Amino acid sequence: MSEAGRQILVVGLNHTTAPVEVREQLAFSSNHLNGSLHDLVALPSVDEGVILSTCNRVEVVAVARDGGAGLAEIGDFLRNQPGVRIGPAEDHLYQHARKSAVRHVFRVASSLDSMVVGEPQILGQLKEYYSIAQEAGTVGSILHRLFHRSFSVAKRVRQGTGIASRPVSVGSVAVDLAKRIFDRLEEKTVMVIGSGVMGESLVRHLVENGVRGLMITNRTFEKAVELADRFEASPIRFEDYARYLKLADVVIGSVESEVALITRETAAEVLRERKQDNMFLIDLGVPRNFDPLINGLDNVYLYHIDDLTDVARENLKGRESEADKGELIVDQEVETFYRWFASLDQVPTIVALKQKLEQIRQGELRKSLESNLKDVSERERKAIEDLTAAMINKILHVPLTRLKERPDEDAAYHETVRVLFDLDKEPGPERDDS
Amino acid sequence: MYQSLLQATAGFYLLAAGAFILYLFSPRETLSRVGQGLLLAGFVGHAIKFAFLFHEAGFPALAQTAATQSFYGWLMVGVYLTVQFKYRLPILGCFVAPLAFLMSLRSIALGDAGLETPPALLTYWLPLHVTLALLGNAVFALAFAVSVVYLLLRRQLKNKRMTGLSQALPALETLDRLNKIFLVWGFPFMTLGILTGSVWAHAQWGTYWSWDPRQITSGLTWLLYGILLHGRLTAGWRGRKAALWTIAGFMIVLGYFLWGDVFFLSRHGGRFE
Repeated sequence: MSEAGRQILVVGLNHTTAPVEVREQLAFSSNHLNGSLHDLVALPSVDEGVILSTCNRVEVVAVARDGGAGLAEIGDFLRNQPGVRIGPAEDHLYQHARKSAVRHVFRVASSLDSMVVGEPQILGQLKEYYSIAQEAGTVGSILHRLFHRSFSVAKRVRQGTGIASRPVSVGSVAVDLAKRIFDRLEEKTVMVIGSGVMGESLVRHLVENGVRGLMITNRTFEKAVELADRFEASPIRFEDYARYLKLADVVIGSVESEVALITRETAAEVLRERKQDNMFLIDLGVPRNFDPLINGLDNVYLYHIDDLTDVARENLKGRESEADKGELIVDQEVETFYRWFASLDQVPTIVALKQKLEQIRQGELRKSLESNLKDVSERERKAIEDLTAAMINKILHVPLTRLKERPDEDAAYHETVRVLFDLDKEPGPERDDS
Repeated sequence: MYQSLLQATAGFYLLAAGAFILYLFSPRETLSRVGQGLLLAGFVGHAIKFAFLFHEAGFPALAQTAATQSFYGWLMVGVYLTVQFKYRLPILGCFVAPLAFLMSLRSIALGDAGLETPPALLTYWLPLHVTLALLGNAVFALAFAVSVVYLLLRRQLKNKRMTGLSQALPALETLDRLNKIFLVWGFPFMTLGILTGSVWAHAQWGTYWSWDPRQITSGLTWLLYGILLHGRLTAGWRGRKAALWTIAGFMIVLGYFLWGDVFFLSRHGGRFE
């Protein structure tokens, strides 16, 4: 395994290799990113570079003239960032080179390397950091191709597998359920009874998904007012919540109460008043705020926090099994990409083809001149050389013209010639790091 | 010619049904598009068949069961494709494609027999009456499909077990709203179908209502859907209840279509005295 030669490299750390305290130290602030990118490509072996810095990962993707030197330089570059206190001994950094680096970038883009497999943000972040590097002028043709390829790999993985199809957080599960019950969340009203971190997170998810009408009530009215201010909602006195229930399509209960806030009878009455308009009740209370029997009524769907967690857990299991399909897609794409990358270092087809035929000509000439033609005169010998050279030139004339008409990018043409004439026989430098 | 066109049509419907059933297991847009494309191909082939038949006979031959069966399937596909264009409901294809296939299969099995129209029925009351009545029933087929899907999704939501398929379904509220829309559209067609039938019967046989088995079953369905529509519009019937009524109504329609002629002698099934 030789480290020499131009290589694609990844050096960095993520949620599996480094605790959050370390990730924080290394995080690149967006103000200084431009400078850092220029520092990166100023390293002696580094030609191209992109820096990715999210809360779960900090990574450098680079192209280096010399792989081994590049890895070392980028490692030092990261360790020497201001405020970073990680020595090589307690190293949280991982290194990838060659195919493994390509695979890593593709897996990150496809969210196969994420803490929550399939989460959609990472692709957007990757695109953002790529375009920052592009603007800074630290992206060349190789990283350009690598990143664009990774975006389409991510799309393929997303569409070809169920990796992102189901929500895996309690908040997004609740929104997903609400969307299966209700036509348009924009027209729906949510009532929140009580306060709590979970309740607030649910409300935020619902508001982000279009819910506009929001009523908030609390045993302490001031708390309701305070929370209502934050969400531009209407505060309601706790004594009055029952009167307003009929206006609420989604009710979130999160109070500590020994008696149920909504009994089966209340729910039935409210539904009658609503002319059986659908209701979605989310019970975050322990003990339960809503009578479980309510779920037996028509047109109302009652979920306890445990139900939401169960659904989320099921979905996560589903995603992880889908991730295997994603890995297969990534493997395929890595091969395709790497074939292109390896071809960059090849002798151009035209030169290789000429060399090959010349080699054959010389070889055959030598054999004949040493055996059955060994008595020919110098003049005849010259004539034979000219004749064979002329033949080769004539034969090559049309193929070479055709090849010259095609740019090197048009791989199929060149590929065919390389295969037909066995132009890649000489083993180039070993590239795979496996 | 008609038979081979009809067979080709049935083939397209069968392939479409296959695509939609695959869609049930792996809800991908490509599959639903393939299904819709095949349905469209079947629909066009079917239309050509009717055009040929019309041209040949000089009259829309819709008197015999063989013709009405496949005509019903054709209308169903037509209504579905229209609805699909507006609302994007690939899941309904899972119902329409197999039903359309079944109807054309019946039609093929009955053969060319009785493609000619008995002289007594050679009046434009025939296509008018048949088209209106069957159009109403075709819209009800879609109401039936959304109702079944509604119950399916409702059950998953109540039991808190979501399958991959539920990802591809419209929201409960949407399904319920569609049930209402289809009722509101289907009911007037059916009413007009029954009215034209009665007026025509009066002109032809001197009686508005003759307790023909077909009349009884459509009267019953009409009553059922009428009550349901009234309940929906005034008494707030909806959701599961509406879905169950819709399904019950369509069972009568479908039951008569598939077996009515087997058990009953009727003016609507070849006895045209």
